[in-house]
Amino acid sequence: MLGPRDRLIGELYIEGNLRVSGTLEGQIEATGDVDVTEAATVKASVAGREVNVSGQVNGAVVASKKLVIGRSGSVVGDVRVPRLVMQDGATLSGKVSMGPQVAASPLAISETPIEESTQAAPVSDGDGQEKQKGRRR
Amino acid sequence: METVVETAPAETSEDGVVESRRDGQNKFTLAPGDSLEGKLIYSGSVNVQGRAEGEFRVSGNFEVAAGASVKALIDGTNVTIRGDAEGTLTARDKLTLGKSGKFNGDVTVKRLQIEDGASLNGHVRMGSFEQSSSS
Repeated sequence: MLGPRDRLIGELYIEGNLRVSGTLEGQIEATGDVDVTEAATVKASVAGREVNVSGQVNGAVVASKKLVIGRSGSVVGDVRVPRLVMQDGATLSGKVSMGPQVAASPLAISETPIEESTQAAPVSDGDGQEKQKGRRR
Repeated sequence: METVVETAPAETSEDGVVESRRDGQNKFTLAPGDSLEGKLIYSGSVNVQGRAEGEFRVSGNFEVAAGASVKALIDGTNVTIRGDAEGTLTARDKLTLGKSGKFNGDVTVKRLQIEDGASLNGHVRMGSFEQSSSS
């Protein structure tokens, strides 16, 4: 739990659930659910099982189960999730990738959170190839 | 091409197209089993229950019903997708992706609502429509 006046700049890895109401910059990853409340400003890549956004998120979002963007929520960045719910009023700008193959990717990164950005690249490449195959059909 | 064009508020309805009456707006319905290939510029609303391919520029609402399949450039005020669609989509007001809806392609919308179970792959751009030309 990060309160409305709390601020974190850096990388955060959490075993379990995370609730953000403050300001967060960098990278966050949780093995459980991530809740970004209305008061929160997140400039970070976010990874978790189920991600709920009611505040502002600027960065890539990866959820292994589901992403919900509430009516006051805003996500600017690429989104990779198997399931996506967007309520009316929510904002989303970026590339959206959905499909069953997405589910496996986020927790594979978790053991070396520091190298997340470099490790994320081959994962997305593999995904891209699968998509191309899909188009050829 | 077997299409049904209803330019007048419907009094005759063969398979439940009664909705056409609302707002007295023109409504074009492509029934299940019908298919359309080409370009359609239509003043009114379009409801696709069959198969459609091409380019659709609609002044009103564009709806892809469950079970329908559309591969097209779609431009409409409110766009609702409950079937299978791919292409490029512009909704001047709102795009709704229903539970069973699937869309592959780029989306430019003012408002976006996605129900659980829907699937979307592509770039999403949101904002107001000062410059209506979408890239």
